[in-house]
Amino acid sequence: MTGIWYVLGLAAAGVGFVFLVIGLAWVLSHRNRGDGDKGLPYESGIDTVGDTWGRFGVSFYIYALLFVAFDVEVVFLFLWAIVFRSLLLGGLVSMGTFVLVLMLGLAYAWRKGVLTWR
Amino acid sequence: MTLAARTWGRMSLTARLTAILLPLAVLLAVGTVVGIVFILPPTMDFLGANMPLVRFVVAVVGILVLTIPTAFVLIYMELKVIARMNLRVGPNRIGPWGAAMSLFHGFKVLSKEDFAPTGADLTVFTLAPVVTFLASVMTLLVIPFAPGIFGQDLNIGVLYFFAMGGLAVLGLLMAGWASFNKYSLLGGLRSAAQIVSYEIPLTISVVGVVLLAGTMSMNGIVLSQSGSALDWFAFKQPLAVLIFFIAATAEANRTPFDMTEADSEIVAGFATEYSGMRFGFFFFAEYVNVFIISALLVTLFFGGWTAPINWPWPYNLNWLDAAGIGILWIPIALVALVVATDILGAAIWLIGGREWSAPSAFGLGLLIAGAGVTAAVGLACFIAFDWVQGIFWFFAKTYVFVFTFVWMRGTLPRVRVDQLMGFAWKWLLPASLLNLFVTAAAIIILNQPVIPR
Repeated sequence: MTGIWYVLGLAAAGVGFVFLVIGLAWVLSHRNRGDGDKGLPYESGIDTVGDTWGRFGVSFYIYALLFVAFDVEVVFLFLWAIVFRSLLLGGLVSMGTFVLVLMLGLAYAWRKGVLTWR
Repeated sequence: MTLAARTWGRMSLTARLTAILLPLAVLLAVGTVVGIVFILPPTMDFLGANMPLVRFVVAVVGILVLTIPTAFVLIYMELKVIARMNLRVGPNRIGPWGAAMSLFHGFKVLSKEDFAPTGADLTVFTLAPVVTFLASVMTLLVIPFAPGIFGQDLNIGVLYFFAMGGLAVLGLLMAGWASFNKYSLLGGLRSAAQIVSYEIPLTISVVGVVLLAGTMSMNGIVLSQSGSALDWFAFKQPLAVLIFFIAATAEANRTPFDMTEADSEIVAGFATEYSGMRFGFFFFAEYVNVFIISALLVTLFFGGWTAPINWPWPYNLNWLDAAGIGILWIPIALVALVVATDILGAAIWLIGGREWSAPSAFGLGLLIAGAGVTAAVGLACFIAFDWVQGIFWFFAKTYVFVFTFVWMRGTLPRVRVDQLMGFAWKWLLPASLLNLFVTAAAIIILNQPVIPR
């Protein structure tokens, strides 16, 4: 149970450290509101066009979907790896089947051209 | 005129100094004695009674403090090493060989204007560097630096490491989204797609190590590689080392996979709109990440803090402590330093002739004597304590890989986005699964018992 306190304590200390330093920088640094143009987004000197928080390429989204499937698999793999010494051949066959099904999905996505960046 | 003022006026300079310093010295001595007799024992008792709490505070503060010199050393290394690789001189103005450069970089970033664009989502904009920095610092908790020196030995160490390291994506995505800038958005999305893709081969390549060690605890993994260099998992999992190294480079956003900050394509990616200390924390986290990735590579595949050759140390140096001197070795070392400085300085001054002024002669004497005493004390500690050895080997191995990352940045060009993503899914993922199942099959065929730990 001590582990969770270390994790929480380090997280709290880390957040405190970052805000302390940012606060110190806030005190030390000069600030200048400037004119209206200062707050414009920097896009290589060209005025921004349209809404930034709009639509973007779907290719990012598909990679995220693939990631979710395989990341859940990784969690199972870790647990399987720990108990593998007592499972041996049966464990290898069952995990092989599980991964094979996932790889069929990957092959399907590959065939559909999802893995090719557009 | 009072009596005191008249007395003061008649005293010489030496007498005045004595009159000021003597009471101070007496006070200091009395204070020291009172401190040692009355304050030290209860304090030690108090600390001893709360040992778990003391260890907690020391571990948390130690991990946070460790990141600062690490980042400074890495920034300086990157400037200097790449400069030498480009046949340039690199930083050479501040400190010896420009070594204080990164310290002043830190001061510069601290004093710069911390500006947010008008359209930005201020809350998310401020929280993004916090999340990124936290994601890298939290992973340091489970890395064992030496026997007995680690933050916390979680039994799910490896999984914890990847869970926390994966949060870095969130920070970069938040930064890209909150900046209200199309370059930032593209950089954030690119980093999300890239890190998420390379996370899969990275974690699967580590499963092979977990299979061999039979545990996810970092200490357990290090202990199951103890022995000589031949017991390191790098020699049982050569393919996994390669996959891990490539995927880790992509995870840390290092060249040749630094698509998220590709300055020739999207200005500075997610960091375009950041300035001042909020920008500083992104790069603080990036350099700490390079160290952490190297440290993990060393821990998982290159034996962690174990020595590459099997030697009979730590050796109990009984003959050094034959007279029961114990902790008194510290003042003895200091006295030895002073005596050696005097002898060496006098010798240099006498032999060197007119060119050597007394201060420079004694300065050189101090340098030589200091190096000698430090080497002697270091060697004695190295032989006597296993944790000194552990720290030495761990940092030596880690900085070899840190150097390799800097080296890659100095030599390799950036890859294209489509090649980057295709490589992760079409090559690294099948290769890592192949490695995993070959390892599992090998364990069944050899049916080797669990490596004793």
